[in-house]
Amino acid sequence: MTITSVSTLYLGNALIPTITQADAQLTQLETESTTGQYADLGVQLGESAGYELSLRNSDDLLQSLTTANSLVSGGLSTTDDALNSIVSGARSTLTQLLAWVPNSSSGANLGVTGDDAMQSLVTMANSSYDDQYVFGGINTGSSPMAAFTPGSAAETALSNDFQQQFGFSPTSAGASALTGAQVTSFLGGAFASEFSGANWTTNWSSASSTDTTAEISPGQTIQTSTNLNAGGFQPLSQAYAMLSMLGNSSLSGEAKQAVVTAATTLVNQGLSQFTAIGAQLGEAKSQITQANAEMSTQITLLNTQIGGLDNVNASQIATQLNTLTTQIESAYQITAQLQKLSLAQYLPA
Amino acid sequence: MSLSSTYSIISSAFASTAAQSSTIASNIANASTPGYVREIANQITNDYGGSDVVSISRQANVALLDQLNASTSESSTQSVISTALTTLAQSVNDSPNATSATGALQNGNSPSAMLGNLQSALTTYEASPSSEPAAAAVLTASQNLVSSLNAGAQAVSQAESQADQGMNGAVTKINSLLSQFQQANDAVVSGLQTGANVSQAQDQRDSVLTQLSQQLGVSTTTNANGSMSIYTDSGVTLFQDVPSTVSFAPTATFVSGVVGNAVTVNGIPITGASAPMAIQSGALAGYAQIRDTIAPQYGAQLDQIAGGLISAFAESDQSIPPTLPTVPGLFTAPGLTSVPVPSASEGLAAQLEVNPNVIPADGGSLNLLRDGGISNPGNPAYTYNTTGAASYTGRIQQMVTALGTSQPFDPTAGLGASASLTGYSTNSVSWLQATNQSASDAASYQSSLVSQASGALSNATGVNLDTEMNNMLNIENSYTSSAKLLTTVTAMFQALLQAA
Repeated sequence: MTITSVSTLYLGNALIPTITQADAQLTQLETESTTGQYADLGVQLGESAGYELSLRNSDDLLQSLTTANSLVSGGLSTTDDALNSIVSGARSTLTQLLAWVPNSSSGANLGVTGDDAMQSLVTMANSSYDDQYVFGGINTGSSPMAAFTPGSAAETALSNDFQQQFGFSPTSAGASALTGAQVTSFLGGAFASEFSGANWTTNWSSASSTDTTAEISPGQTIQTSTNLNAGGFQPLSQAYAMLSMLGNSSLSGEAKQAVVTAATTLVNQGLSQFTAIGAQLGEAKSQITQANAEMSTQITLLNTQIGGLDNVNASQIATQLNTLTTQIESAYQITAQLQKLSLAQYLPA
Repeated sequence: MSLSSTYSIISSAFASTAAQSSTIASNIANASTPGYVREIANQITNDYGGSDVVSISRQANVALLDQLNASTSESSTQSVISTALTTLAQSVNDSPNATSATGALQNGNSPSAMLGNLQSALTTYEASPSSEPAAAAVLTASQNLVSSLNAGAQAVSQAESQADQGMNGAVTKINSLLSQFQQANDAVVSGLQTGANVSQAQDQRDSVLTQLSQQLGVSTTTNANGSMSIYTDSGVTLFQDVPSTVSFAPTATFVSGVVGNAVTVNGIPITGASAPMAIQSGALAGYAQIRDTIAPQYGAQLDQIAGGLISAFAESDQSIPPTLPTVPGLFTAPGLTSVPVPSASEGLAAQLEVNPNVIPADGGSLNLLRDGGISNPGNPAYTYNTTGAASYTGRIQQMVTALGTSQPFDPTAGLGASASLTGYSTNSVSWLQATNQSASDAASYQSSLVSQASGALSNATGVNLDTEMNNMLNIENSYTSSAKLLTTVTAMFQALLQAA
């Protein structure tokens, strides 16, 4: 063992760096104990800072998606309500059609049934959520279905078709001579063609055939709406239009029976198509619920991970604070005692 | 042997006691002077049995002094780097435990966090593409991202400019220290020739050397005549009888791509990539490392992020078949007409801006965010939403996807040649904080080494008051004995004379 000399300067100042360092550490620990997080995250995390930031970004993204999903769900619920209302309207129309007795005097009822059903169909088709029309496809900015009223584009086109085919209007006296077969052929030909292709998109629908989609969880994009050009809107409006136009006309009982038969088929067709769409959108809703649940689990997990990186252990901090205080106190004591320790104190004056 | 010879021995004892006490006095007086080296009066027996103080020597320790100087240099390098990095890292720090109004964690102002916010805003916008507030939120997020990159580029320029000023200051100090060193060195050399006490000049020379080693790493050799030569730690001569000229021309403003001037010693560069003998340590080396390596590299990463953003949000010709080139969309820079390749992204972080065509305050339209055609609203070829549908999400989806899609980056920025924009930006934060962390660790480690080295040096060369006191008591005793001896011999003479 080497006995080395100790300089008085060093002896007097030996503990100063220790005290300064401990003081700095004390301030840091105080910050950490109040905030619960590391005082300087960057220096603490180093290489993992980017990882921590990406966790926070994922957390942000999942929160946004969850918020956005509530909006999408709202739209889906509105769609659902409208679809239910359309389906129940179609069912009651069907009941009335089945109960119809073929005689010309009860034709007025048919016309009213058609008018009412058509009106409620248009109202429902123009349902909106958050100022966006839910059946517009991606064209949510304008009302998708045009009203079917005397003089409307659709009504005019249908009247013209009748006039062209038979040479007179449905309400003229000549119409009473039309046979059931003639009416059936008209309804299946020129009349039906008004409800598909360019005729449909010109006179009836201003919806886009592209449905809206939404990202409901990272990487999972689903269809979140249906549109007027798909599903049961065409057969239903076709059925309602024929009832409205021909129900209250001069047609014979036989011819009206042909109308009712055609309308019944179309309403049934529409109903089955709406059921399919309802199922599809219901699936979308359950997907969203599931995605939300998954994301909520992920958010919890992410927060735990972020906490693991950022947060200090409270009891560890408390222990460190205690140790540090003790250390500083003993440093003070030793410094004071060292100052007393000098030969000069013991020399006679 | 005569009784009278005792007189001369006693008088030599008095002389050497006086010399000893003056040395002790000097030691005690300087007990608290940092850098003071304890003096020792070298006493020998003279020809007639007395004692003479022949010289005053210093209790110097060259090895420990060298070690202190080396660790001082290393410590000031790390401290300079760590300080600069702390400032740079401020720009990417999370704000601990702060939460926004919505309760989400605040992620600080880094480009990476702002990119995350933009992604969230786009996702919300995707769910309600016709919503004006959602579009405005995307615009705000984009503007924040741009400000973050602009601010980052500014922080880089500032760090470079501060380091440049630091280098200038260090060079001025080095030149002044070298001329002080010359004075002290001359005093030592001439003092040694005349046999004067050179301790004070040597102390001063050592102290200048320690100050010098704060500015740059040095090594020394001592010549036969006592003159000391100083070399940089890379071997360039700084002082040999006369000081070398250390020169540096500061750069007024730093923008991306501007390289500062090198520090030269007698015309030989000692900093910079081209320097054949670049210095390794000292504040000067730290400043040079910040100015020439660390800050430009981080700046290059920010430029890559800016270039990547322009490219990710660029708009392509939607005509079939496309004939027009792809052009910058939401993010652009003044005068930029084509999408820059990664290797030509220099300076983009400072110039990046949100295209004014989407800013309502500048006469732009928010709907372009959804519809496309931001680059040139007058040219329908770049419009994605051809029907103008209110809930068109095709373009928004593309933008969200582009953020997470792998794209090429310039590998010279140090973060690889390909990554997604979000990945690249978090890697950049990781890189900066890792550098920050290691500099901070190194700085505190080196600083504790300095305090150990200075303690060791102080212990080996400094004054211990107790030792001096003890010596003083010894001298007092010897003085008392000599005086007693003198009285006794005088009494003896008197007795002899009376007897005669």
